Amino acid sequence: MSRRVVVTGLGGICATGANVPEFWDNSKKAVCGVSVRTLKAGDEYSITLPIAPIDGFEDRLAEFGRDMARADRFTQLAIAAADEAVRDAGVDFASGLGRRTAAIVGTGIGGQTTFDAAYLAMLKHGRKPHPLSILKIIPNAPASHMSIRYGLNGPAFAISSACASGAHAIGVAADMIRSGAADAALAGASEALLTYGAMETWKAMHIMSDELCRPFSKNRKGLIIGEGAGVLVLEDFAAAKKRGAKIYAELAGFGMNADGKDMINPAVEGAAGAMKTALSTVGAFDPAGVYINAHGTGTLLNDPTESKAIRDVFAAGADSLVVSSTKSMHGHLLGAAGAIEAIATLKAMETGVVPPTINYDEPDPACDLDYCPNEAREQRIDLALSNSFAFGGLNAVLAFRRV
Amino acid sequence: MSDMDQQLLAIIKEHAIGLTSDPTRETLVTDLGIDSFSIVEIIYEVEEKLGIEVPFNANENALGDMKTVGDLIDAVKKLAGKE
Repeated sequence: MSRRVVVTGLGGICATGANVPEFWDNSKKAVCGVSVRTLKAGDEYSITLPIAPIDGFEDRLAEFGRDMARADRFTQLAIAAADEAVRDAGVDFASGLGRRTAAIVGTGIGGQTTFDAAYLAMLKHGRKPHPLSILKIIPNAPASHMSIRYGLNGPAFAISSACASGAHAIGVAADMIRSGAADAALAGASEALLTYGAMETWKAMHIMSDELCRPFSKNRKGLIIGEGAGVLVLEDFAAAKKRGAKIYAELAGFGMNADGKDMINPAVEGAAGAMKTALSTVGAFDPAGVYINAHGTGTLLNDPTESKAIRDVFAAGADSLVVSSTKSMHGHLLGAAGAIEAIATLKAMETGVVPPTINYDEPDPACDLDYCPNEAREQRIDLALSNSFAFGGLNAVLAFRRV
Repeated sequence: MSDMDQQLLAIIKEHAIGLTSDPTRETLVTDLGIDSFSIVEIIYEVEEKLGIEVPFNANENALGDMKTVGDLIDAVKKLAGKE
């Protein structure tokens, strides 16, 4: 059995939007979600750094019910995104579809907020951890809560591949629908690591920018960490068409591989190979109608490596297509990056607007593509890639085609 | 009713989302609307708020077959050695 898989619902939350319409509006307006904040653990420990946090989410918690009051922030964000995606798709799981619907949700770490609180309570105050800490921390909590919340009995689990988790989750869920293991899926990822402990740990790697995220710009200084979640509703094309669903695009290709070289340094061959695999099933296309939502972290190494990989894959066509890194606006959502960026990619296709790479002010000879600098651009997109390249050399690329 | 009974009742009340009125010793546990998480949460809060140890192991059915809130309160007090 080989079926075509389409996207019929979107839900997302990050620094630049509490939902997809707000996120997309701000993406078109080049709004930057980065600001300098102080994160505390108790009264004694604090760190001040630029991040891309979601403000005011706590005020919305009541709308998600009792289960979410007892969940970690990364699960709360996942459910906020999932609720929106399910509403957007207008899908009825109670009709029997729920029994064959998967919930595949990625995360880089899991319940960091709960981890931090438990260790602070134990080591500083000699208190016991909350008895539900494990249920909050486990990386599969969002997938489990989705299965309970919407009545889904298909395959459900978490995928963890650092910054490629979201793309892996969406790609694997689509493969399940293609193979017949499920008829539909909620697929995406979530991450909430803006805690004192996590940020000290990231800072120790010496790859974070101390001001802004400037992908592909010569004066880039590293990544800015954000938080959030993105969830897609994926369905079999024939079934979606039959029920008259709104179809954003077809997930026409998925490429994944491992560099097999280095835990930190990315490899051109791995990134290029994943893009080639994703493109191998999309059919003929004109590079002038191609948009690539880049991994584009704004680190010294990623940006030229990714640019060279794009050139290797598209050859002369690389000068016709357009690339952008929306991380410049919403920050790096780590495990959830591939999910929120898949949403940006799909909205770009739907609306014919390429979201910009902001904070771009100095061309780098090693990054020589069209990065849609600083302002959104109207452009018809027929084919789009969403690139995710993780620490540990794990690559995942999603290819969306207009239906 | 002792101070401890009242404190326990107050903690149970916070978790009793199934009730429209305040729980009493006679309220049926099945009417509280509590779920699989609630007993461990209640025990945790009892320990935190009352500063006592409640050596509870969910595998030992130490709370017995509780029918009423009074049974639950008595079981917690027994575990805590405060009966």
